[in-house]
Amino acid sequence: MGLFSTLFSKEDRLPEWDDPRDCYFTRVAVDLDKCDGCKLCTLVCPANVLELFGDKGKKKARVKESSRGCISCNNCYAICSNGAIAASEAPRLAGYYGHVKHGAFQPPRTF
Amino acid sequence: MASTGVSALRVEDPETVEQEAGRASVIKEVPQGAPWTMVEEAIFRRRSIRKYKRKQVPEHLIRRILEAGRFAPSQGNCQPWKFLVIRDADMIQEMEDFCVEACKKLQRNLDYTQHPKGSFKRFTMRLLARVFNRLQPKMLHPVPVTAMTSIAQGRFAVFHKAPTVIVLLMNKRGIGTPEIDIGICGTNIVLAAQSLGLGTCWVGFSKFLGQNKQWRERLGVEEPYELVEAITVGYPIGDPTRLIARDTPQIAWFEGGRKQILY
Repeated sequence: MGLFSTLFSKEDRLPEWDDPRDCYFTRVAVDLDKCDGCKLCTLVCPANVLELFGDKGKKKARVKESSRGCISCNNCYAICSNGAIAASEAPRLAGYYGHVKHGAFQPPRTF
Repeated sequence: MASTGVSALRVEDPETVEQEAGRASVIKEVPQGAPWTMVEEAIFRRRSIRKYKRKQVPEHLIRRILEAGRFAPSQGNCQPWKFLVIRDADMIQEMEDFCVEACKKLQRNLDYTQHPKGSFKRFTMRLLARVFNRLQPKMLHPVPVTAMTSIAQGRFAVFHKAPTVIVLLMNKRGIGTPEIDIGICGTNIVLAAQSLGLGTCWVGFSKFLGQNKQWRERLGVEEPYELVEAITVGYPIGDPTRLIARDTPQIAWFEGGRKQILY
């Protein structure tokens, strides 16, 4: 890859930092049927992505509308004893950083 | 045959030697689908912990996890590491403040997204940011840039109010690629901590401390050592140990004269 291609090739262009098509940060999904509003996920989230909503006694967790998205640390997933939160994938990036190919999302396997 | 001064390669079959010596070791093959070993448990259940209990970690446990670091493999056994242990909340707070301030400065001068689209300021800053991005494609990767912005805006912490911070120093004059050895050393520390019920998190933004003369002097970072990473240690909030899913990277498998692609 020469200087020209790193500077001008469309395939290797630098992603736009605030364009979600170029830099997409996963947003965790909360299953509201399983969530019991224990608040642990909102507490443990380092990126401050989760919040509680709803009436007292019936509170549930959700992703904040204003958040930039999560850092895929998966701590909320790992701490939820009800299995209400889906594991989040690594951020997806386009252009120069997008040359990544991998298989399915899998838990540890013993084979 | 005339001696060349170079000793010939050993030609004995190692397994025969083992047997003749009467010391043949037994292969204990782990069956398919066997439960995780304790090491695997530590690897798979480790998360980067960023919320800690206030309780300080006992000194003996910190000493113990540093022992795991000390016994990491390194190139030519050069052991290019040195550790700093910081356990004063005030000092950790000062380190935090300094790194936040550094992020703020960097964000002000680099993050073009803070200006509205179409503005002249955004146009010039974006140009400059992209030149830096080309020169430093790993450091100015969009993910750390986003983290830096979040830190500058107070939405993300650096040392996470951890009771103990371990700073890893690297001997720049180590053999080959001492950066890799430091990585292996840190992994030993982190996994040993996990097996002892402690939570840890790698802190790359700690590098700012190593770039500042006052902090280098205060921490005693002297040539040939360089500050490369920090690891926060503490007792995690809750029990974040459920197994998670991860991406499966490609595996090119060469066997029987064939190449297979596995995931």
